[in-house]
Amino acid sequence: MEKLTFSFKNTKPVQHPVHVGVVASGDLEVIFKPTSAKETTLHIVTGSDGFKEVWQNVLTRFFDRYPLLADIEINDFGATPGVVNLRLTQAMEALNDEK
Amino acid sequence: MKNSFVELSGRDRALALLDKGTARELVGPFDDMISPHLEPQGIVPESDDGVILMKGQLEHKNALVISIESAFQGGGIGEVSGAKIVAALEQVLKDNQNGTEIYPIIILDTGGVRLQEANYGLLSISEIQNAVIAIKKYVPVIGLIPGRVGSFGGMSITSAILSYLIATKKARIGLNGPEVIEQEAGVREFDSSDKDLIWDTLGTKQRAATGIVDEIVDDSVEVMRDAVTAAIAEKKDAKRTEKADFYLSLLDKLDMSQPLNTTEYRQRYQDVETVAHPIIDAVSTNDEKPKSRGRLWFEKLTGIQNAETNVPTVLQATVGGKTYIAIVPDPKNRFPRVQNGEAGLQEGFAIANVVNKVIKEDADKDTKRPIILVVDVPSQAYGYKEELIGIHVALASSAAAYAKARQAGHPVISFIPGDAVSGGFLAHGLQSNRMIALDDDSITIQAMSKASAARITQRTIAELEEATKHVPAMAYDIDNYEKLGALYKLVKDVSSWDANDQAVTEIKKIIDEAVESARQGENNLHFRYETKIAKESGRVATLKMRQAVADQWHVS
Repeated sequence: MEKLTFSFKNTKPVQHPVHVGVVASGDLEVIFKPTSAKETTLHIVTGSDGFKEVWQNVLTRFFDRYPLLADIEINDFGATPGVVNLRLTQAMEALNDEK
Repeated sequence: MKNSFVELSGRDRALALLDKGTARELVGPFDDMISPHLEPQGIVPESDDGVILMKGQLEHKNALVISIESAFQGGGIGEVSGAKIVAALEQVLKDNQNGTEIYPIIILDTGGVRLQEANYGLLSISEIQNAVIAIKKYVPVIGLIPGRVGSFGGMSITSAILSYLIATKKARIGLNGPEVIEQEAGVREFDSSDKDLIWDTLGTKQRAATGIVDEIVDDSVEVMRDAVTAAIAEKKDAKRTEKADFYLSLLDKLDMSQPLNTTEYRQRYQDVETVAHPIIDAVSTNDEKPKSRGRLWFEKLTGIQNAETNVPTVLQATVGGKTYIAIVPDPKNRFPRVQNGEAGLQEGFAIANVVNKVIKEDADKDTKRPIILVVDVPSQAYGYKEELIGIHVALASSAAAYAKARQAGHPVISFIPGDAVSGGFLAHGLQSNRMIALDDDSITIQAMSKASAARITQRTIAELEEATKHVPAMAYDIDNYEKLGALYKLVKDVSSWDANDQAVTEIKKIIDEAVESARQGENNLHFRYETKIAKESGRVATLKMRQAVADQWHVS
């Protein structure tokens, strides 16, 4: 298990908390919470050690397209980058649904 | 499959059952109530700890759905997830007591105790069982076993206590998983690689034909919803834990030296002629009996020497206004899996009969007699026939009887001079409102043997032992157990095998004090949350969860 923290200078504040996913084998859960901070902070707990760089790349690519400003928590149980991207996209869609 | 219920996540299952737009999740992913015990062991937690509480309406009736997410740690019950279920059920109880009807529905998809939080899991599961039994006086508690994991371990004991069980054909129900039986009793007892055998034995079809499950439904959201609605409307109650005489009659006819297959068992189940099976008071004999800590203390506390009843593994006697009960070894017992003093089929059902008789005899009395459990159970019985017949029903029968006795006002006191392990402890010990233990190195108190726990959690025994250093609930000794706060007293100066006169006098005095303490307290299991150790460290997460559920229960 490894704990990772990332920050991104994002601009679009989220209005509601959302939660998607489960901490199942090969899967993860993603929680977005509205924040009063000026940047997006991610706290990640992952069961797969040594993938900090991969996380950095997946997250950078996602936030380049969708600069969501939020406090984000991720609990990951060995999801692939594709699944991570899918769950982040689902979380974003859930945000849109609530508007 | 179109509209499959099984394929939904735990949260979506809960939402699918309730009327559209009425569901409100309690203590959900945004409340930061994760298990504090997983990260220290290098395990990723989940924001809801694998249990979802959804309050809403089902066909316009108030309902609470408790859904276990099997994809997270196999749906195992730990301290936080367990406390979540208990706290919600106790709110349901309170509402029903106050005249607001609310129907609890439990979706079981669980391996039972979360082995990484072992002793917390056992405590929580006994507390869940206690709440279910209390609620059943008001409304039925409906259980669903959709399948994927199915229902195993201590939560299967819980399933037997629920009012009515609905399952799809994708479910399996058993106490000990086939892998654990293979680990404990050998591959000849149960081959865990034989999937056909596993499904034939534990699958819903066999279970519905033999009284373990009440209704088989197709895997569809609508069908599931309709089945639950009908079960509530008809106030279904299978009374599964009140069939001790039926099962004891069935067991009488069983030749344990011969194999028993599923077809034959179905026939035997149909052919049972139920006769009463009273258990006589233990008498003194001149025959030397196999030694055990449980037997030693039973005999010292009752004054009966070489005690014997008509069930070789169950001792019971009423002496000085107290009924004492112990499970003891019997090396020649016709059920080979209980020869070391394990809790098996006969033990669970026989104890249920003893305790239910005590309740009946004292029904009209103002002061109910104390029931003293002498606890020395190395485990439940691990056997193929035990699973086929439904050992979880046997253990549920005694657990339910103890809980009913306590709720009726009997002080139920556990005295622990020996082992207190797993399903054996749930059946004979954990429903007591005061627990007294000896501070003795020989005592093992846990959910599973090290070998099995390591196999199931895919760790080495060395890794497992490392984890016990960080998480007291993982440990196997009584001193770590004390840290959970559940004990009324840990007796320092008496050892398990030395029941000298002075020691016996001291234990009798402590039992009397515990009886008095129980009489002055409530008839539930809250004492465990209220000790100094519980409040300061042992049950901090439990108490936090109970507060959170209470705070969110009525907010709309």
